[in-house]
Amino acid sequence: MARVRTTGNPPLVAAVVLAVVAAGAAGWGGWSRYDAAHDDAAAYAQARDDALAAGEQAVQNMNTLDHARLEQGLDTWEDSTTGDLHQQLVDGREAFVKQIEAAKTVSTAKILSGAVTELDDRAGRAGVMVALRVTVTAPEGEPAVKESRMLGRLTRTSEGWKLSALGQAPVGNTAG
Amino acid sequence: MSTTRHLVNRRRRLAVVAATAAPPRGTAGPGPATASDPEAAEPRTPSEAEAAAETGTKAKTETEAGAGAAAREDAGAEGDDAGDADSDADDAPSAALRSRRPRPHVRLPAVLCAATVLLGAFAAWAFTSAASLRDDPTRQNTALTDISRTSEVKGQITEAVGAVFSYTYASPEKSEKAARTYLTGKAVQQHQDMLAEVRAQAPKQKLVLTTTVTESGVELLDGDRARLLVFADQSNTRTGKDEETTYAAAMFAVDAVRRGDTWRIAAIDTFTR
Repeated sequence: MARVRTTGNPPLVAAVVLAVVAAGAAGWGGWSRYDAAHDDAAAYAQARDDALAAGEQAVQNMNTLDHARLEQGLDTWEDSTTGDLHQQLVDGREAFVKQIEAAKTVSTAKILSGAVTELDDRAGRAGVMVALRVTVTAPEGEPAVKESRMLGRLTRTSEGWKLSALGQAPVGNTAG
Repeated sequence: MSTTRHLVNRRRRLAVVAATAAPPRGTAGPGPATASDPEAAEPRTPSEAEAAAETGTKAKTETEAGAGAAAREDAGAEGDDAGDADSDADDAPSAALRSRRPRPHVRLPAVLCAATVLLGAFAAWAFTSAASLRDDPTRQNTALTDISRTSEVKGQITEAVGAVFSYTYASPEKSEKAARTYLTGKAVQQHQDMLAEVRAQAPKQKLVLTTTVTESGVELLDGDRARLLVFADQSNTRTGKDEETTYAAAMFAVDAVRRGDTWRIAAIDTFTR
């Protein structure tokens, strides 16, 4: 009887079919959404991009210093670093302040390009390489522009990725 | 008979009131009997309902109740459809009955429609959300996340850079061959321009240019396209009368494309202003 009723009621049949199709689509969509949101590779990719962004910013900070706003600049340096590098900056701060105040230089840096060379997401360690153009303006003479190849080590802290080591890529002894 | 009937009906009426005062079923209000009222439904038969209808206006409420109950009985007997009581209930001129008759018809499609809309909306949101998650540039870039591809492109581009930016005056064809093997598109002309001076000077000064990649990192890896940042050392040796070697630090980015199994350099960005 019920079957007769339903078959004799096309709109109802259509409604049932549509609801079933919608339920199927919702199930599929939900699975797809879940699958997309719980992708390990995506989390790793996000960590990589976070590390690169933080690394580039930190490298730029470390190559930017205005003698007129020295304390502010050095605070930024300390904020961009952690571990040994941070300690070195804190320890050497006074001497460095004297040095820069005497030289009266203004350094600005532009990131040309950067890449993450290694990333240990779990341990919270990463390596970055950054191509940089630094312009140093002294009170006298033309601004000096130099291109700089920086290699940095990053450590993840509670405040995000920070530089734990930074240096120029060595040159000369590897070629030939 | 009439008196007995009347008493019986009265009892039913009271039962109906009690039943509707209890947790209501649907929106019926203090109207006819509901299916949850077993006392009203139990003793009724369609013929009794008709008989009740004949007792006149005084018994009208009871009739409605009876007809409703009869309808319910029918429904119970024939499946879950109160609408089948139509033939029996036709005799009862009841507005209440007419108003409740379409309810089961309306309710099922309404629920289905609501479910369809809600499920459909969820599905649309889920697919859109999943697609936007997957289209995120961060995910599209598989540098480092795709370990084998990352090391493949790093290895091949390191080799390619070393080959095309090395030049020996004694065998210039070696560099030509490397250029044909590793370069494609815009990079071919860029390489020509970059090495033009070396080529011109090489025979006279007996130049040997050697390029070694010291660091490379994959900035972007998306299918068959990649961009790498390269730090390289270049040693330039003049093997003329007095041998002299100069070192230079180079940094540049290369765009790479994968053709078949090999990565080729498609463009070289030396960050010139």
